[in-house]
Amino acid sequence: MNVFIEAVGFGIAAGVVVALGAVGFTVQFGISNVLNITYGALMTLAAYLGYALLGLGLGVWEALAVAAAAIALASVAFNRLLIAPLVRRGTGFVGVVIVTVAAGIIIQYCIVAIAGPDTVSYGQQAGSTVRGAGFVFTTTQLIIIAVTVVAMVALHLLLTRTQLGRAMRATSANPVVARSCGIRTERIIDLTWLISGALCGAAGVALAITTVSFDFTIGPTFLIYMIAAAVLGGIGQPYGAMIGGLVVGVGTQVAAAYSSPAYQDVYAFGLLIAMLLIRPRGLLAAGTASARRLAG
Amino acid sequence: MVLLVYLGTDLLAAWGLNLEFGVAGVVNFAYIVLVAAGAYFYAAFTLGPPAAMGGFQEYIIGLRLPVVLAVVLAALICGVLGCLIGVTGLKRLRADYQAMVMLVISILATTVVGADTGLFNGNAGLSLIPNPLASVDASRRGWYYVAAVAAVCVLGYLALRRFTTGPFGRVLRAVREDEDAAIAVGKNVVGLRLAVQAVGGVYAGLSGALLAGFIGGWSPSSWAYVETLALLTAIIVGGLGNDAGVLLGTAVVPVLILQGVQFLPQVKSAPQLADDLGWIILGLLTIAFVFSRPQGLIPERRPRYRQPGAPEPPLPVSTADLAPVARLWSQRAAPAALSGHAQQAPGSRAPVLAVEGVVKRYGGVHAVDGASFTAAAGRITGLIGPNGAGKSTVLGLVSGFARLDAGRVVFDGRDVSRLPAHRRARLGIVRTFQLPREFRALTTIENLLVAAPGQRGESVAGLAAGRWLWRRDEEELVARAQELLGLFGMAGQADQRAGRLSGGQKRMLEVMRALMAGPRLLLLDEPMAGLAPALAERLEAACRQLADDGLSILLVEHELRAVERLCEQVVVMAQGKVISEGRMAELRTRKEVQDAYVVG
Repeated sequence: MNVFIEAVGFGIAAGVVVALGAVGFTVQFGISNVLNITYGALMTLAAYLGYALLGLGLGVWEALAVAAAAIALASVAFNRLLIAPLVRRGTGFVGVVIVTVAAGIIIQYCIVAIAGPDTVSYGQQAGSTVRGAGFVFTTTQLIIIAVTVVAMVALHLLLTRTQLGRAMRATSANPVVARSCGIRTERIIDLTWLISGALCGAAGVALAITTVSFDFTIGPTFLIYMIAAAVLGGIGQPYGAMIGGLVVGVGTQVAAAYSSPAYQDVYAFGLLIAMLLIRPRGLLAAGTASARRLAG
Repeated sequence: MVLLVYLGTDLLAAWGLNLEFGVAGVVNFAYIVLVAAGAYFYAAFTLGPPAAMGGFQEYIIGLRLPVVLAVVLAALICGVLGCLIGVTGLKRLRADYQAMVMLVISILATTVVGADTGLFNGNAGLSLIPNPLASVDASRRGWYYVAAVAAVCVLGYLALRRFTTGPFGRVLRAVREDEDAAIAVGKNVVGLRLAVQAVGGVYAGLSGALLAGFIGGWSPSSWAYVETLALLTAIIVGGLGNDAGVLLGTAVVPVLILQGVQFLPQVKSAPQLADDLGWIILGLLTIAFVFSRPQGLIPERRPRYRQPGAPEPPLPVSTADLAPVARLWSQRAAPAALSGHAQQAPGSRAPVLAVEGVVKRYGGVHAVDGASFTAAAGRITGLIGPNGAGKSTVLGLVSGFARLDAGRVVFDGRDVSRLPAHRRARLGIVRTFQLPREFRALTTIENLLVAAPGQRGESVAGLAAGRWLWRRDEEELVARAQELLGLFGMAGQADQRAGRLSGGQKRMLEVMRALMAGPRLLLLDEPMAGLAPALAERLEAACRQLADDGLSILLVEHELRAVERLCEQVVVMAQGKVISEGRMAELRTRKEVQDAYVVG
């Protein structure tokens, strides 16, 4: 039983980081309709940035904030310079995905060229430990949990309760019509990339702190976890991504506790493929897409 | 020399991927997994049992087979694996979800193979893989290997041309351009996709086996998911769908760039910089090409059929001039199509189609709610009603594009409710789409050619035997398509890409393509909408000619005067139900019809 509780604790800590990243991914994918593989590379960038900032003596909060701001700007620039022009030209979906993969590779190998291919290890787990109900968390983990919960609730409220959120969802459903209704869709899209970039940056730092060591492939591997979480929860749903992140985190940790840790990734990926093939619209998805087909 | 071997093996892989992605439009981000499988299986077949080989590495199989047999077996296994990966694409996921599945499969495979040491020795990888030319003197072995790989490439190219050119290549490109439109003319899209992925898998397997045999080692680090991008970049740079372009692209991208950077002056402190630089250049190149030259250095070419300077055939002026339309159709449809009502006494109005209580729900909405009607053989049946009445949905249900929730569709006495759409099209239920769905990158005449059923050039026999088997068929087909184009005044556009046609021309193309598919029941979805009056008249005349010659037509149309002129029997739908039937003149006087149109 202790093994189980411990694994669940690890799972929550890992899952929250997944959730933080997944919330950003799901909002960006859900609203701009671009499958952004570069997200993983930006996360690697954030992890290295966080590592450097903490090395300079900054606290966890400061590192989170700086990385979030930096990646948010990078994310907007990425959309402005690359993705938006492609979409305007009517490049097909696959073309855009290929470009995001290519951009991710460029970023990834730029990082290697600068930081080197070796594994970076972040010495001590920051903060003291907090115990309760058999769980053990570090204060850093608690900070990350708090950040994730706040980000998720804020995003959910933004999307469902505000005029801006309505405009965002309208842009997602049909950008052309949204534009003709007077919604400034470019701004909405920019905002989406900004939000998702900030979450990506925060998640990258969180990941750098919570994993013992990492190298330049951390982002793309982690991207699969985030995609799994986002798909589990239904693309575009912040709460869903949160739940999905926890399911992925706890599920993989518990499974790994009872078998070989080498297979931890395999479980996450297996779960994702099963999900994509069986219920691609997610556990929480409601049947809205089918209503659109009525138009014919 | 090493580079030449890499060029050859990369080329085989790139050709396979180009067949899948460039020609058939199948998104396969997991392609490199197949190359890897080829390498591993080649190794496992040629190596002896692990214990007998010193026991320092673990793997499955270990049969010590002759190398040629091992290469062939590895390639075949990869063909099967390619099919298996293809099966995941069968579920009609959005393209972005499919891309995700493929990426995940690719990363998952690396993880599993890396973690499971019993399979192919885990992350350490296999080594001491036998060289296929081990018997050749070591000093000359390299060049012999180059020659062997070159020979495989030449054979591979000749085989590949069978798939990418001629009627088979044409139908693959049609699938790439518009899957639904290909299904509508009776193409088995699922089968074609799986076939392509099997063939692509064989090429990948060959590539992997030859590479592993040359290097002598193979591990998960050789086939990270980014390697698929290297191949994709080669294809994009060279020219999507163009085999010769891919040769150029492969020479430039994986060989010149990824290998070429190794020859740059090395930085001692960071030996991996050259690799990094290679990947960065590759990424930039991909982006640059997708941006400014998506068609690649050597774009896909389409064959031309029209003699330059050939005179335009005279445009038919009177209805009688359109008589050949019916001949062109019945030539193809006969005798199978005509035998159906040849057995009936002339004048009998036996229904060719019976729709019985069909229901289609979308979420909670009943788009079609228990509609029943029949369509008589050799007649034009009209289907009218206000917007949202469910007319298009009914066409979808009859043609098999939408699945029935309840009820039956009986065609020519046979219940077709459970047949997939392409099988119904082959039986003769051919639909058009409300918004024209041309195969954009194919020429106008190719759009017609691809629709013809039962082409030997598309069959396995045609692929195996080659051109001589189908050349005559093809010539007849071209003549027929040209005549049809002439009748609709589009002979001049024959060699134009269909995507460049005007709206009205696309509409006509939609109808002509359906006629080429040899229909027995033609489902027309608002064919007249947006047509210039002269064109609409010509279409109307053609429909009349066709019906006189025995073609049954179900016509959804808002242009009620045309419906009145063409149709003896008109079915009126409103809110998913059939509310009235009869002649147009009677219907106009009926209250429920007036209410539906005015109120509903």
